[in-house]
Amino acid sequence: MIVSTEVKTIDLRLRVNGKEVAASIEPCALLLDFLRDQLGLKGAKRSCDVQVCGTCTILLDGAPVSGCCTLAYEAHNRSVITIEGLTQNGILHPIQQAFLDASAVQCGFCTSGMVLTVKSLLAQYPQPTTAQIKAYLDGNLCRCTGYWNILTAVRQAAQVMASTGALSP
Amino acid sequence: MSSTRVLGSNVPRVDGRAKVTGQAKFAGDLVVPGMLHGKVLRSYLPHARIVGIDTSAAERLRGVVAVLTGQDILELKNYMYGHAIKDRPIIAFDRVRFVGEPVAAVAAEDAHTAHAALELIEIEYEDLPVVATLGDSLADDALQLHDMSALRAGLFHGLGEFQVGPGNVCYHHDFERGDTASIFSKADIVVEGEYTFPAVYQYAMEPHTVIAEYDSDQITVWASCQHPFLVRAELADLFELPLANVRVVVPYLGGGFGSKSYTKMEPLTVALARKADCPVRIANRVDEAMVTTRRHNMKCWLRTAASAAGVLLAREVRIWLDTGAYADNGPRVVATAADAAPGPYRWQALKVDAWGLYTNTAPAGSYRAFGATHLAWIGESQVDEIARRVGVDRVQIRVNNLLRPGEEVRPGGKPLDADLVNDIRTIAKHLDWHAPKAPDTGRGLGISLLAAGAHPVSTAIVRLEADGTATLLMSSTEMGQGVRTVFSQLVAQELALPIECIRVPGGDTQKTPYDRSTGASRSTTLGGTAVQRAAQDVRKQLLAAAAEVWDVAPEAIELREGMLWHADQSLTYPELFLRYFGLAGGEIVGQGRVQPTGEGQGSYATGPVFWEVCIGGAEVRVDRDTGRVTVNKLVSVADVGQALNPQLVEAQEMGGAMQGLGNALFEEMLYDNGQLLNSTLLDYHVPSIKDLPERFISSLVENEDGPGPYGAKGVGEGSLAGVPAAIVNALGELGIPMTELPLTPERVWRSLND
Amino acid sequence: MLAPFEIHEPATVSEAVDMLTHYDEDASIYAGGTELLLIMKEGLVHYPHLVNIKTIPQMDAIRLGIDEQRLKIGAQATHRQVEQSSLVQEHIPLLSEAAAQIGNLRVRTTGTIGGNLCFAEPHSDPATLLLACGASLDLSGTNGVRTVPIEDFFTGLFETARKPDEILLAISVPILPVGSGSAYSKFSIHARPTATVAVILHMQDSIIDSARVALGSVGPTPVRVVQAEEILRGEKPGDELFAAAAAHAQAATDAVDDIYGSAAYKAHLAQVLTQRALEQAATRAGAGDRVH
Repeated sequence: MIVSTEVKTIDLRLRVNGKEVAASIEPCALLLDFLRDQLGLKGAKRSCDVQVCGTCTILLDGAPVSGCCTLAYEAHNRSVITIEGLTQNGILHPIQQAFLDASAVQCGFCTSGMVLTVKSLLAQYPQPTTAQIKAYLDGNLCRCTGYWNILTAVRQAAQVMASTGALSP
Repeated sequence: MSSTRVLGSNVPRVDGRAKVTGQAKFAGDLVVPGMLHGKVLRSYLPHARIVGIDTSAAERLRGVVAVLTGQDILELKNYMYGHAIKDRPIIAFDRVRFVGEPVAAVAAEDAHTAHAALELIEIEYEDLPVVATLGDSLADDALQLHDMSALRAGLFHGLGEFQVGPGNVCYHHDFERGDTASIFSKADIVVEGEYTFPAVYQYAMEPHTVIAEYDSDQITVWASCQHPFLVRAELADLFELPLANVRVVVPYLGGGFGSKSYTKMEPLTVALARKADCPVRIANRVDEAMVTTRRHNMKCWLRTAASAAGVLLAREVRIWLDTGAYADNGPRVVATAADAAPGPYRWQALKVDAWGLYTNTAPAGSYRAFGATHLAWIGESQVDEIARRVGVDRVQIRVNNLLRPGEEVRPGGKPLDADLVNDIRTIAKHLDWHAPKAPDTGRGLGISLLAAGAHPVSTAIVRLEADGTATLLMSSTEMGQGVRTVFSQLVAQELALPIECIRVPGGDTQKTPYDRSTGASRSTTLGGTAVQRAAQDVRKQLLAAAAEVWDVAPEAIELREGMLWHADQSLTYPELFLRYFGLAGGEIVGQGRVQPTGEGQGSYATGPVFWEVCIGGAEVRVDRDTGRVTVNKLVSVADVGQALNPQLVEAQEMGGAMQGLGNALFEEMLYDNGQLLNSTLLDYHVPSIKDLPERFISSLVENEDGPGPYGAKGVGEGSLAGVPAAIVNALGELGIPMTELPLTPERVWRSLND
Repeated sequence: MLAPFEIHEPATVSEAVDMLTHYDEDASIYAGGTELLLIMKEGLVHYPHLVNIKTIPQMDAIRLGIDEQRLKIGAQATHRQVEQSSLVQEHIPLLSEAAAQIGNLRVRTTGTIGGNLCFAEPHSDPATLLLACGASLDLSGTNGVRTVPIEDFFTGLFETARKPDEILLAISVPILPVGSGSAYSKFSIHARPTATVAVILHMQDSIIDSARVALGSVGPTPVRVVQAEEILRGEKPGDELFAAAAAHAQAATDAVDDIYGSAAYKAHLAQVLTQRALEQAATRAGAGDRVH
């Protein structure tokens, strides 16, 4: 098929990491590419492209979605959180800090998606069981760490967030 | 001596914050001004002659800047590459040899256009007979995939006299000592078997990504590559440029594991950029990455002879490794597999023959712990079988036969530099070896050696600045293992500086000095030694400068907490610089280097650099009705000489073990006549958090018996290779012999019911 | 990479049906998109027009039917909504259990039960389970609304009885009466399972008075093992009975050798999983008044 020279665009209005954003997109634009290429938010990555690995995880109205298989169009009038939105005033979110403290980061390619998924996990289950952690993170692959330290990081983050009543989930 | 104990402590990763905030840049995050989008058209046939390519419609598409085909590269004097064997064209020109081989490439203004242009390229193929399997490749009447007489050694062949063939043999490695035939004919016990090992995909989560720019006589490449200097050399050779005119810049890698070692997508991207006269980015999708590199699949015949008392006498091995359509690192994998086949035992006789064979499948190359992962489970399962037949405990039989430190592992090679008996006893202890077991539960362990370190050439430069900060220039690639952190620790230790004062930029062949490669568990040992020497060089100059300023002997001066001390006097480094250089400026530059004729602790002239201990233990439960294997416990030992950062060592152990688990239980690339059937993660299962064993224990062993800084040796591969051996042996204890990996439920079920 | 398309936003089912009719082969229903966008990205299909039915209100509602004998699940309920619905958990807990095992968290957040059923992937969890439940599907098209029993819905590999102009509105699932016990067993190596079994038993006075056994992933469509159901009916639960029923399950598979396993192994798994599911369902049924 030949790419049409006349492509209709859609006006998008959304909140990204708390800020209002207005943009013009093609209907077929994927959320991952919109965030990375149009907004310059490169934290979300493309890996498997079939919704299995989780490197493209974005929080859409707080729920994790695969940016590689979600149309940017779906974000209209909704709120998007990316990894870039977690640090407030230079202070790391407790989940980010826990990942560092527990040595749960190696190459870093899965980290953005993993941290965001943990954020949504702890919002639903502030004191998650191991089974709940695994059910949530089953769709976020990591090839480097072997997951043990990620489990530790989740539990540490849960503890910190519970005790400080810290940053809103 | 500095009192700040930086080494041996769990210093947080220096790149941790960047990664956890999404700021760390990988190749796919970089934007080069004017960069075009490149896409590759790949062959859908496993073996075919290219009769004709018509790119005219694609070239006419608005937004397409260039289309590259084989015809374009034929104008180069050198268009064949391959570090071991130059058997690979930059892009296919007369025929395609595997499904996925690049046949054309498009550079366009946007990704949509590039994608659409691919569909406009017309190619006429003429099918050729397919050499799909090892069996096909070995057949007497097999079609030869390469004109062997035309092949040349690669720039980094490194395996003695270059020879290829006969038939489809890419490389043959063999050695022999003693009289195996005689021993086997007389031995009380002979165990023999045929074994199959799968093709496995490394799955570094970041697929290969390259941006290339070709500007008159300068090439710049930003690439997800592990060995920038080897890539530089090959690019310089292909495009006939001086080394200094080729610049390879390496951002953070999203995993490597060998999948980004040596040269992969760089020559193609450079050729496309050259034709487009514009920078171009090519980013593999995962299904493209899976046909760019993989682990060698293998068939093996192995037999072991032993006495009735359980003394191991002789081993004979034949190994056939499927290297795919092009050699890549095949020859080295063959040699390493041959070296690993005997296992770490005393033998009266050995006979090992290993062949790498060409087939019409994607090229196989390096993947973590190659060779040892291929062979350990086989040899170790036979040792277990011998133990059962002679009625000796499986740990004891190993204790009786294992090499001891200082003993010869292979003639002319470095003697054993690890206490294997202690390692195996540690594994047994953590497995609760003698404790009662639940039904259908088995325990197993395995031990092997990997010739680690690759080629020992590394260089480092440390620049101490007038403000008391230091920049470390080195070219080990940060792919998650923590190399920038450990090296910062080495500099911090020598110069008594806080870690935060040390900057470690990424590899850039124009700026950071030569390091041969990042892989083979070599970075701490070799790169680290170079870094340590560079820091020591700065230290020496620093002390000399202070000695001059204070007019005392350098030996009387101490470095502590970022300052110089003598009697009741002290100077910060900035204060010293001011006094010594006469201004708030100047610099002290130190360099350090490691090469094969190095002096000092542990000569590097004798290979291997060190023997990496590949060891693992497992306790598993089998569901006999479905064949499903559940791993209760995995155990490993990190015999690392000295753990410069214990937390990072443990991290390598855990990651390696889970890759080993995947390799052992379910990872397998499935082919049908050269077609890869499972090329997405939907059909190729990579371990997820749900696959974790209930427990994982890794013990640190620090005997300071390595040639690296403070007696360190490398780590990272041993825990992977140990897992298949341990699980196979755990199943063996349950009376379930397995001769084929992975141990899918169906295979285990079939073994139970055969 | 997706080739360009237009997205249409119908406000009502009727508008959506008109759009589908108008654009014909050039249009596809677009809901969660988890299957659709994947095959479009791979270039296997292309639709220049996507009819976004998420703009039609109330299509994800889950409620009790008027007669309170069934649950009506809006076709656009996501797997996550099905998993977390208190109504589902109370009345057909197995559906919640199975929904929790679909894909991964992100797929469950976005993918809809209706989209899953209409795509008719042979490994579909909801398809197998709902077959065991005896569900029915409400469809709306140019010829009006009709209800199709689930037994008639899956007509072949990736094929359903839904006509191109029809939209799946809701799935009607009979509520399990007190004394029911159910089990869902899924055996996977890869992302898609090798074999799945769903069993629903109802017991009265320690006798099985109704049984439904469905197999998934072991044929082009999910199937009910009618012979197994027949021998179970009227019998007391027991190992031998379950083994006999499981043997029928093995015979009922229509599997092929593929990357998920050989046909022989899948058939064997069908037998093992059925036996285990029957045991589990019987235990749950015998556990008293509670529905399991």
